[in-house]
Amino acid sequence: MRDISVFLKDLSNILGSKILQTRIFRPEKICIQVQAGAHRDAIKFILEQDENAGISAITGIDLGEKIELMYHIRTYGTIITIGTEVPKKNAKIESITDLIPGANFHEREASDLLGVFFEGHPNPKRLILPEDWPGNIFPLRKDAPITNIPSKMEGSGHVEQVSYDGRLINIVMGPQHPALIEPERFSLKVEGEIVRQVEPRIGYVHRGIEKATESRTYLQNIYLVERVCGICNAAHAVCFCQAIEAIMGVNIPSRAKYLRTIILELNRIHSHMLLLGHAFLEVGYETLFHYMWRDREPIMDIMENLTGNRVITSFITIGGVRRDLREEYIPIIKAELAKLKDKIDFYRQIFENDSTIKVRTKGIGVLSKHDALKLCVVGPVARGSGVRIDVRRDEPYAAYNEIEFNVITYDDGDSWARFMVRLDEIVESINIIQYALDHLPSGPYRVRVPRIVPAGEAISRVEAPRGELFYYVKSNGTAYPERVKIRTPTFSNIPSFIHIAEGCNIADVPAIFSSLDPCFSCTDR
Amino acid sequence: MSLDFTLIFRILIFPGFTFILLLTMFCDWVERKIEARMQNRIGPLYTGPAGILQPLADFVKLLTKEDIVPFNVRNFVFKFAPIISLSIFIFSFVFLPIDGANIISGSSFEGDLILVLTLVSIANFLLFLSGWSSMNPYSAIGATRVLTQLTAYDIPLFTLALAPAFLAGSLSISTIASKQHIPFALLIPWTFAFFMIALQAELEKDPFDVPHAETEIVAGYETEYTGRRLAFLKLAKDVQIVLGAAIAVELFLGGPYGPILYGSSAFWCTLWFMLKLLAVVAFTEYLTCIFARLRIDQVLSVNWRLLLPLSLLSLAAAAGVSLWLNPLWR
Repeated sequence: MRDISVFLKDLSNILGSKILQTRIFRPEKICIQVQAGAHRDAIKFILEQDENAGISAITGIDLGEKIELMYHIRTYGTIITIGTEVPKKNAKIESITDLIPGANFHEREASDLLGVFFEGHPNPKRLILPEDWPGNIFPLRKDAPITNIPSKMEGSGHVEQVSYDGRLINIVMGPQHPALIEPERFSLKVEGEIVRQVEPRIGYVHRGIEKATESRTYLQNIYLVERVCGICNAAHAVCFCQAIEAIMGVNIPSRAKYLRTIILELNRIHSHMLLLGHAFLEVGYETLFHYMWRDREPIMDIMENLTGNRVITSFITIGGVRRDLREEYIPIIKAELAKLKDKIDFYRQIFENDSTIKVRTKGIGVLSKHDALKLCVVGPVARGSGVRIDVRRDEPYAAYNEIEFNVITYDDGDSWARFMVRLDEIVESINIIQYALDHLPSGPYRVRVPRIVPAGEAISRVEAPRGELFYYVKSNGTAYPERVKIRTPTFSNIPSFIHIAEGCNIADVPAIFSSLDPCFSCTDR
Repeated sequence: MSLDFTLIFRILIFPGFTFILLLTMFCDWVERKIEARMQNRIGPLYTGPAGILQPLADFVKLLTKEDIVPFNVRNFVFKFAPIISLSIFIFSFVFLPIDGANIISGSSFEGDLILVLTLVSIANFLLFLSGWSSMNPYSAIGATRVLTQLTAYDIPLFTLALAPAFLAGSLSISTIASKQHIPFALLIPWTFAFFMIALQAELEKDPFDVPHAETEIVAGYETEYTGRRLAFLKLAKDVQIVLGAAIAVELFLGGPYGPILYGSSAFWCTLWFMLKLLAVVAFTEYLTCIFARLRIDQVLSVNWRLLLPLSLLSLAAAAGVSLWLNPLWR
């Protein structure tokens, strides 16, 4: 990594007096506050320095008279934040979508929830709020009314249906569709059997969790953020707790770090197996779907034994974990994992050799490395396209700096590569858990922390099963957080679907879609 | 009068209507059980011993459900396609010897093989019509896929079905069955293998179950059907599977005749017929379990590029063999 002070000096040479101030988020994240309008120059500079840079999230905070926008840029394995402020009355800022196409969704979300207009955005439509939402209410602003929101606007109720536009037929998939388990809508413009254009629409089950965190205490919020996504709940809890611990300056005991690592990896195995089973179902391979989900059960049993719960584990707390691992259970976990490893070998052989699976996934839905970087995808989707990003390695948290593991990448970029990344990652996860169980330090598994969190800001990142999970937490010294920004991996990965699906056969769309492992419960947080 | 009673018994009870329906439900249970065991599940368990009555229970349950006809689908085809399709499939059994003779003695004639194959195509076409008349996009896509697949795979299926006819020197199914002192599957195994592939496509089973791809098009042409119409549609599909397997048995596996035939020939013939039928059903179910679904264009390219030339070649080979074989049997 480059020296950050050299980087800062270069940046200040370019921007000069446009840099207002520089502050440090915990833990060790830099935030450069610039004048409105100069954010584009700053981001352009970062992109010139590091061609692998991408955007992680855009956080907006209502400061009263002003709205602060923070562009969290992922570069050199860390996050550099470019902050800028816009007046609340006439909130306008230049779009950065032309610099980073991956910022498209982030800007639309900020425009929906905070009422910031992004000038020059290619598609400034609603993304999260309903079409008939009143135009002057922005939920994440502090002065947004909680009651008396008009339920419907005049002239609403427009439903998009199958329509024809010359040679293009508009096919609407969702919000209810057999291939989509969760409610979201994709409007596909189809020419014959070939998809020409995709427009996704999310927000059908948006629960306003970011807003809800502002009226709950930190301890209550752990349970709330766990429910952002049932499958990767441990990742959310760890990410949130890490941010709070960073603000408090608490160091958690190393046994807790190892236990967190174990539960995160169990989560990853369970999530990947769930997805692979589902993918088999999408390509019509029912037998393997049943096999995969059968083999996933022991992992659920281990989680239940370790945490007391099968799915939503409620295992993580601020300052450590809630329960200790019983010594006599360790051999059982190891035995189960060893069995699973053999089975994963079997699935690997199938994926490599079965002709019907190859014909449905190889060379289908290709995302090139260049596009993956441009669209800022994360997790197995990025690694399937040969982009080596993994928060566990780039910025180790929990016990990952003490455990050796491989970052799996495939260069093919097709659906097959994305599935293979996940299969290989299951093996890596098993190795990580086995190492963690062998080297589990003794000592306490949690420290007691005060209930009041001091004022401060923190950024926390976790490699969730689906990719980089990003949390920004701002505390104002009271019992309630000022702002919690959650950017889930799927939110970053959806734009790539638009890109991949163009030019594909319509029958491949479900299989491609499942190869991205979308989680709309996450996205509609 | 006594003759009439025998005839009515043969048509309605054994080996006619009732027997075929029971056989269908039994085969359905066997299929579900095999598939479940191969997928490491349990399968039907509670209704009857080992769940053997589950297909019947499912059928009765559907009969009692509300029968909904979509508002803008008030047409004859939608209402009657399932029942006509079912009738045609069951009627085709008239030409198959099950207990050593046809259901109606003398129904067999030179050329009934072609009639049965044509009837199967017509019944399949009715399934297409049922989806096409549903006025539902998923049904329409499912129906077009049925038709695409039907036009593609009927040609190799017909061609391959003629190979045994060449060997036996007859176009009558019962003659072909009775002439197999050695089952044709052993004589021309490649033809049998191709026939099974074409049959798999004809029965819309994996890897060719594109008309049913539930993750893409819900239930295909069945989407709008409910209640008793759905019950008959599903029954028609099940009878089709039994019929397809039965044709394979008659043409390639020596029909109802087996190595052990003493005492009551009707009993032994039926037993052999059912054993062979179950073997074929188990094999198709095995194929279903070990393959992923292909895409419709891949299905078609498998057919036109591979199966059709191969079936024509094997027909030519069978015709050549028959020149040498037929004099031996005379």
